[in-house]
Amino acid sequence: MTDIVELLQTAGLTGRGGAAFSSAIKVKAARENKARLIVNACDGEVGAAKDAWVVEHHLPELLEGVELVTGGRRNAKTLFAAHRDSKTARRFADAGLRVLETPERYVSSEETSLISLAHGGQARPMAKRAPFVFGGRDSQGKRIRPTVVLNAETLLRVSQINRYGADWFRSFGTTAEPGPRLVAVGGHVERRGVYEAEAGLRLTSVLAMAGGLAPDIEYVGVGGMGGVLLTAEEVRSATWDGPGMKRFGGSMGPGLITVWNPRDCPVEVATRMIAFGAGESAGQCGPCMFGLPALSRDWIAFSENSNRETHWHLVRRLGQFSGGRGACGHPEGVVRFAQSALRVLGAELAKHADNSCTKAGGRSYAKLA
Amino acid sequence: MLTGSALWYLSRATGVVSIVLLTIVVVMGVITAGRRRPQGSSATVAMGVHRWLSLGMLVFLAAHIVTAIIDGYVSISWWAILVPFISDYEPLLVGFGAIGIDLLIVVVLTSYLRHRIPERLWRGVHWASYGMWVVAIVHGFMFGTTDQPVLRLVTLACGVIGGLFASWRVAVSFGDRERRSQISVQEWS
Repeated sequence: MTDIVELLQTAGLTGRGGAAFSSAIKVKAARENKARLIVNACDGEVGAAKDAWVVEHHLPELLEGVELVTGGRRNAKTLFAAHRDSKTARRFADAGLRVLETPERYVSSEETSLISLAHGGQARPMAKRAPFVFGGRDSQGKRIRPTVVLNAETLLRVSQINRYGADWFRSFGTTAEPGPRLVAVGGHVERRGVYEAEAGLRLTSVLAMAGGLAPDIEYVGVGGMGGVLLTAEEVRSATWDGPGMKRFGGSMGPGLITVWNPRDCPVEVATRMIAFGAGESAGQCGPCMFGLPALSRDWIAFSENSNRETHWHLVRRLGQFSGGRGACGHPEGVVRFAQSALRVLGAELAKHADNSCTKAGGRSYAKLA
Repeated sequence: MLTGSALWYLSRATGVVSIVLLTIVVVMGVITAGRRRPQGSSATVAMGVHRWLSLGMLVFLAAHIVTAIIDGYVSISWWAILVPFISDYEPLLVGFGAIGIDLLIVVVLTSYLRHRIPERLWRGVHWASYGMWVVAIVHGFMFGTTDQPVLRLVTLACGVIGGLFASWRVAVSFGDRERRSQISVQEWS
């Protein structure tokens, strides 16, 4: 058997859960530390669906990936994380696997939350002083055994690279971001679903697999609640890769695109997204548990009455988060979304504030109904 | 060789300086712990004063203890420094001092070992600083001789100032606690 770490290094596989960290480095550390593996199949992001798809259609390959990562170690006690009562959790259970049932909420699906839960703690993010693959302690000083979390799609790719080789893998995508990668396309499209894509495609080609971008579409979200909002015009010129998404402050993230329904008031949708993000705080860090609700209030104040003062309050609030406040990436994700929504929805916000917005959920719509 | 009364004065003086320094150290600690966003140079200054002045205070405290014992005017055994309530002279009040010393020793030791022990152990022990400060104030205030009102007033002022900062600490952490408990009752496991 060729060394899987070397193979992953040559293939250039990166984590498909959103962080895009080198899988070779992670697997090498996991092997050296005999780390326990947790397979993350939570689909924690808003609109995510690919983990469930991998488990539904490629469970044998996923398990092969698990074997490769754990080196077939007996007593590896690999955990399979999925939201409680989800179809994915049931599929894992039916296959006789050890299921880590996770509360169905945003930050509980994050990797350190899963590690905490696996150690009998709460599914809330932990501060990472060093990667938990080396083991460590939580903020209360409780010992955390070496644990590594890999996304379900990442493990599928591991098994495929082992079967078909690094060259096959590199025949997809770009040099910097090689390999096939799944994308969940949802929202206002003809055929919602999970599709095989790769970096370097035009964003419209990715959307075409789901039936394409209808002419009346105005806004498209990339990456869910921790992602960014784009106008349809931007979507038409964008490429689906890291640099292409970075132009708009985003990334390929956990691989999901949501086409917003043109009949819904986008300001209301954005308001609900930001309020949801604020409500998902685990209540551990000040910038998250106080800052995000304050951001949500400032957003609402500006959307209802846009003037220099409310605009200034909102912009200043967004600025307070600069430099990655809080111990996990949650506040940063909500702020990234709010910033992109503010950038993209300028005209809509003005209409919304002076009550001339007539879309569903818009302010005058509510009055008419 | 210092005469008896010089030692007595020295013991009083170093005692009162210790209590003033201890109060400053405690207040700096309270400020550091209570602020939600310690940032900028003021946070560094507060932390630096807290850490280094606490060590500086030890010098005065050591002088206070040694002079009180070797003065010999009243009978206090060396063991009474650490074991409370065994002193021949004023067992209760010297005992408060001894409790303070015991607490101080564990607080200083755990702070030196902070990076080698669980954070919650350090934090739990560090809470004992409040108790240490209270017994030190009581010890100082009750010993303040009636013909030396200044000593008593200084200790009293330290008590009032420290008390105010401690109340501020409770008040600011209330919002934190409330929000944390609101969130922690949600489903997390």
